[in-house]
Amino acid sequence: MGRLRFANWVPVLAVALYVTIPVLCSIYYAVFPGGSFSLGAYSVITEDASLAAAASRTFLITGLTIVVLVATLVPALVAVHLWAPKLRPVLEILCTLPLVVPPIAIAAGVVALLRWGAQQGRGSMASQISQFLQNPDLPLILVGTYVVLCLPFTFRSIDAGLRTIPLKAMVEGSAVLGSSTWGTIWRVVIPNIRGSMLFSVFFATALCFGEFSLAATLGQQTVPVWLYDVSSNNFRASIAIAVLLNLTTWALLFVATLSADRFSPAGRAARAERALQKSSQKAAA
Amino acid sequence: MSLPITQPASGPRPGLLSRARWQGAGAALRSPAALSLLPLGLILALFFILPIAGMAVIALSVEAEDGSTTIGLDHFMALTGGSHSQAIVNSLQVSLVGSAVASVVGALTAFCISHIRSKKLDSVVAVFSSVLANDGGAPLAFSFIVTLGNAGVIYAALNLSAIGFSLYSWQGLVVMYQYFLIPTMVMVTLPTFMGIRKEWREANAVLGGSAPTFWLRVGLPIAAPALLGGWILCFGAAFATHASAAVLIGAGGFPLIPLNISSLLGQSPASQPIAMALGITMVVIAVVVLIVFNRLQRRTARWVG
Repeated sequence: MGRLRFANWVPVLAVALYVTIPVLCSIYYAVFPGGSFSLGAYSVITEDASLAAAASRTFLITGLTIVVLVATLVPALVAVHLWAPKLRPVLEILCTLPLVVPPIAIAAGVVALLRWGAQQGRGSMASQISQFLQNPDLPLILVGTYVVLCLPFTFRSIDAGLRTIPLKAMVEGSAVLGSSTWGTIWRVVIPNIRGSMLFSVFFATALCFGEFSLAATLGQQTVPVWLYDVSSNNFRASIAIAVLLNLTTWALLFVATLSADRFSPAGRAARAERALQKSSQKAAA
Repeated sequence: MSLPITQPASGPRPGLLSRARWQGAGAALRSPAALSLLPLGLILALFFILPIAGMAVIALSVEAEDGSTTIGLDHFMALTGGSHSQAIVNSLQVSLVGSAVASVVGALTAFCISHIRSKKLDSVVAVFSSVLANDGGAPLAFSFIVTLGNAGVIYAALNLSAIGFSLYSWQGLVVMYQYFLIPTMVMVTLPTFMGIRKEWREANAVLGGSAPTFWLRVGLPIAAPALLGGWILCFGAAFATHASAAVLIGAGGFPLIPLNISSLLGQSPASQPIAMALGITMVVIAVVVLIVFNRLQRRTARWVG
């Protein structure tokens, strides 16, 4: 039996090694150039103005994506749960479909539309909209498409969050006490689904930080596109920034997973049980 | 009796498109819900449905010499040969092999984790697998280049050039994709393996069954829907991967559908319809695979029930 137990660990350790080694190798490559420790590769952060521009563009897009995502998805899902449960499956299909369509295909479609708009002649409405959406200072086209890319995951999370609370009773109860529906949602419902909301925010942040296909195809220099461009002439700098970016997105996804878990009913129940066990152990002692 | 089978997190559930539901949906549209649904609907229409529809229109419209446009499959015909058909074959090969390897390794890992029965390991694995399943992109390719590339640390240490391994080939892509495919598989199948109860194995033993009979008659049928579901997810993820492949392979070295689409889009406007046809082909392949797998999954699920 002892040998069998060890055999169980072999695949687990092998996968763990496979996952860890590339990270360690890139960290080593980034901070041990020529065998001695140096943070020289990171000087690109202060020296390269294009990286600063790419980073601020990425932050701006991320912030806007989160605002638009939360401001459109939460009301839609609350409305569906409260007034139109029959629409929920339709909304679910629409929000899950982007999972099936590869981002590069969405990018191709967007390029087609934007070019069509630009071809409608100078000053025409379509051409102006096309220009407006692609403005390099504020590429709204990326915000819109990133919201769509986030939907399959965030829909599930917020939908699950709303299912676990007595939404109807909350709204009715606070209506009796004199609150408006949206006031109730702001003060009662949202605090009760904060686990799902936090998951959505962190997931969207991680996605926006890492997305490449759309930004590269639409010619918008975000951090991943900058990495790709710089890798051909300053490989060590691109590795250094890639390590930073990867660890950041991992941390974000980590927090996303934990927050979805922490505030979920199952997570709460598990914590309550642990607390109970602890106190009963103390009582027994 | 309800078995603790956890469905994979993705893929539409059966029966979503029944007629009665659509009729109910029509009535629901006249409620206050419509106003709250409008912003999300607008986003989906503008940034998802319209681009896909536009892509289909361009891919399917053929311009005749006198300037008139008709519907035809000419642009799709341009895909039957040369780099583009090679890209389709390559994409399918890499995704099929990559998802198959990940399914076997991931399922085996999840199985072992469920056997170890350590609560700490379970929660660590749950968090890490869901984090890594969403990994990918340019940083992933960079980390593999410094690890297994021609001057990579591990490549040199293990003398991998002796066995003829190259990261910049389809085998290299398969190895790299495992980084997010195995965690995806573990994430999807672990809850199911955890749900296989000790009592069932005991019942099997009491009735005279051996370990292989248990797995053939009980374990695998219960795990089958989750295994298939994980495989679908892995196939889709491998099929759609663009950034890490672009960094690793660059343009032209090893044609893949996403790489070909992005290089076509950067060329003259004349090649644009071919890019759209390739994009539509990609969507169609992904949807067909999803439907086929979903059918299989439902069949195995019914068999268990």
